[in-house]
Amino acid sequence: MAWMTAIFARNRRYVNYGIVAILFLLLLVGGGNLRPWSANLCLTLFYYPFSEIRNNIARLNDAAEDNSRLKNSLTEASLQLNALAEARRENQRLREFLGFAPAEGYRVIPVKIISLIQDGYPLAAVVNKGTSDGIEINQAVVNRFGLVGRIKEVMTGHASVQLLTDPSHAVSARIAESRQIGIVRFVPGEGLIFDNLPADADVKAGDVIITSGLGGIYPDGLAVAVVDSVAPPKIDIIKSVWLRPNVNFLSIEELYVLKGGAL
Amino acid sequence: MKIIPYLMYLFLISFHETILGELTSVGGVAFDMTILIVVLTALYKGEMEALWFGFMAGLVAGAAAPDILPYRVILTVVLSVLANFLSNRINLESIVSRLVILAGMVLINRLVITSLTSTDEIFFVLFRFILPSVLYTSLWGLIFFALKDGIITPQKVKALF
Repeated sequence: MAWMTAIFARNRRYVNYGIVAILFLLLLVGGGNLRPWSANLCLTLFYYPFSEIRNNIARLNDAAEDNSRLKNSLTEASLQLNALAEARRENQRLREFLGFAPAEGYRVIPVKIISLIQDGYPLAAVVNKGTSDGIEINQAVVNRFGLVGRIKEVMTGHASVQLLTDPSHAVSARIAESRQIGIVRFVPGEGLIFDNLPADADVKAGDVIITSGLGGIYPDGLAVAVVDSVAPPKIDIIKSVWLRPNVNFLSIEELYVLKGGAL
Repeated sequence: MKIIPYLMYLFLISFHETILGELTSVGGVAFDMTILIVVLTALYKGEMEALWFGFMAGLVAGAAAPDILPYRVILTVVLSVLANFLSNRINLESIVSRLVILAGMVLINRLVITSLTSTDEIFFVLFRFILPSVLYTSLWGLIFFALKDGIITPQKVKALF
């Protein structure tokens, strides 16, 4: 054994070269698994920590990109939300401006008055659209201030609107604040009144009267009038309430017919 | 032979292959960290260190491509031993001679690897990647040699500003 050690010590240089050459030959012509095994060993020992760091950095970069993209999306969504809120406010203003709050699923058909029938006060109006335009009997008619009346008769090219000021016309309505239901009708010599209101009903001047939706003709929520004055109960059962209509029936021009169905 | 510094060199090679190479590349040209460290070891250490470190450096640098692993190993060993052989026969005091050895080893290494792996036109690769890489690696070598020889010192750097 000692002689072997002596030989190695004397030929240390050649032994090292020999070992490296053998290892190289093993890598070159060795078994099929030696090369991948050596490569995997090196990858595991030397590359794995850095590849993990690199992957984590890549993930952080991806997260940063996602974060940036999501922030942009959030900003866009916020802007859209603001735009929608503004559109909703605008819609509300326009509804108030038009004087009605049509229920979902209603659309309006603009019509023009071609004739106004009066008997001291307006009774009916003839408008320039009829069945060919989708106008049907009992459709509600409004203008930008509120309820005007309903379609009473309809022909091909024109229709007759029974106005709110027709004494034979009555509209089921409610007080917007107290939700009390009554009947709005026109009484010649007295004007528009809110009838059938119980003596203990909570009503005062300035209250807004809207359609109740009962009766099947008018959708609910259409502005009708504002309470002008309230008289003490006549026979302790029914309270008399005088209304100031939203619509000036002597100056109506353009009207809108509410048509049911999808918008 | 102390092993720990050589292990650190091997980790430095793998760090360069995975992360540092991309960060320090200029226009798609990376410097050859493996040959840089192998040549520096060969220049300043003994023959056996050069032999074994060349072998291990080739093994680590070629681990990502097992198909050409033996060729990379033998190439790195040959370059390392050759650099050590030359270092015993040149004037190591001269930075230029060391840079010539370094540049020559990088050039040979890149040419052989390119001939083994690349299917592109050799002249395109030579002028687009190999020669710029030789220059870039030589630049790093120049900085190292200047630091080692004391041409660049913290005091001199401070004196510039």
